[in-house]
Amino acid sequence: MSLGKEARIILPRSEGTEGSLLSRRTLIRLAPLALLSACNLRPEGKTETFLRKVQQFNDRVQASVFDPNKLSPEFPDADLTPLKDFRVNTDSPHDLDLRLVDEKRWTLEVGGLVAKPGRYSLEQIKALPKRVQNTKHVCVEGWSINPKWGGARIVDFLALIGAEPRGKFVYVTSADGYYTSYDIASARQTQSLLCYEAYNAPLTLDHGAPMRIVMPTKLGYKSAKWIISFWVTDQKPSGYWEDEGYDWFAGI
Amino acid sequence: MQKKVYFHPIIIRITHWVNFFALLIMVTSGLRIYNASPIFGDWTLPPIIQYGGLAYARQWHFFAMWIFFINGTTWVLYNLLTRRGRTTTLFGRQDVKGVLPMIKYYLRIQKEHPFFRKYNALQKLAYTSVILIGLCVILTGISIYWPVQFGFVAAIFGGYDTARVLHFVFMAMLVLFFFGHLVMVTIAGWSNFLSIITGYGNEGPAERASSHSAL
Repeated sequence: MSLGKEARIILPRSEGTEGSLLSRRTLIRLAPLALLSACNLRPEGKTETFLRKVQQFNDRVQASVFDPNKLSPEFPDADLTPLKDFRVNTDSPHDLDLRLVDEKRWTLEVGGLVAKPGRYSLEQIKALPKRVQNTKHVCVEGWSINPKWGGARIVDFLALIGAEPRGKFVYVTSADGYYTSYDIASARQTQSLLCYEAYNAPLTLDHGAPMRIVMPTKLGYKSAKWIISFWVTDQKPSGYWEDEGYDWFAGI
Repeated sequence: MQKKVYFHPIIIRITHWVNFFALLIMVTSGLRIYNASPIFGDWTLPPIIQYGGLAYARQWHFFAMWIFFINGTTWVLYNLLTRRGRTTTLFGRQDVKGVLPMIKYYLRIQKEHPFFRKYNALQKLAYTSVILIGLCVILTGISIYWPVQFGFVAAIFGGYDTARVLHFVFMAMLVLFFFGHLVMVTIAGWSNFLSIITGYGNEGPAERASSHSAL
């Protein structure tokens, strides 16, 4: 959930009355532009339904363009974003139930179309082969950072829990109420991680300790922090930002 | 009554206005997306059209992109594949010699308006280069929409972050073209403006005006 509430409010530039660059005549000529600014295209009703359909079409285009063998470029350490610029971008985890993210007590609840449902400990996940990768994290807002991540590949975890082939989606929930979901092909991509390290150190709480998702083939809001449950399903689930109008596939 | 001349075939008139609205949506929703994380310091733009949030600006942007793409491709193909398009609109080798006289004319060095058919050499140059700018705006768009899946395209433009800046720059060039276009349309006058709606413009005394016919 690397999408903070957008705090930026765009205010019109302060309008000076003296020495204004724009003459009255020019302003009158620009009146049609002022009319435009009264134009509000926040989709509602039929427009909303239509744009959602276009968005679902774009999701299908993204799914067909997605190449599971294509890697997000991995950077040398010299190109890493310095640790001090490792952006958090979530409101500090105030909604977070701290008991759920206590490393000693933390477990990942696993369910759905799996042979071995139940609670998995940090040790069980850390016992899987560790993948360390310097990959770009691209936020839907437009900025990007290059952190160093470390964790278990989701594809290995899916094998550990015995995910059934008919499970076409993965759904995760977080300790702060966040939730999101993935197509199974993206989840199985080799850089998709159950991540417990950043910059060779255990994740800090701000960055989603003790366990988060890292999925460099998708926008940042798919890299859910503080995950506490993991489901394999054949019904397409939704997501927190996806319910707010953002695209579900969110491939990059 | 002045003789009317058929300037713009129906396909040109349709693609012209579809392009106007597609670009209006693309640019204004794009600026809303830009504002979510400004590139140039903290410099943001006041909203021209309200979108009610980043999510909706993205929905509009990724809808209008198809219109812009399909419509633009239609316009380019029409001009490439028809004799009319190739001779009146696209800049070719034979137009090189027409460039200097037109510049002299615009700079008031030369009084006589150089002879030309539908568009003069500079207009053709503008129309042809705007195709390239349009192509670049699409390619940089693909680079920031799919920096992983189309990483090789993003690499041409210096990677995701640079491509984002270039996407903005090419957009700004299209907007500059639009304002230049507005100035020329204003100078050329009402008959010229009507021709992109009805297809017909004035010949004769208005020829001089139509020679400035919208860039």
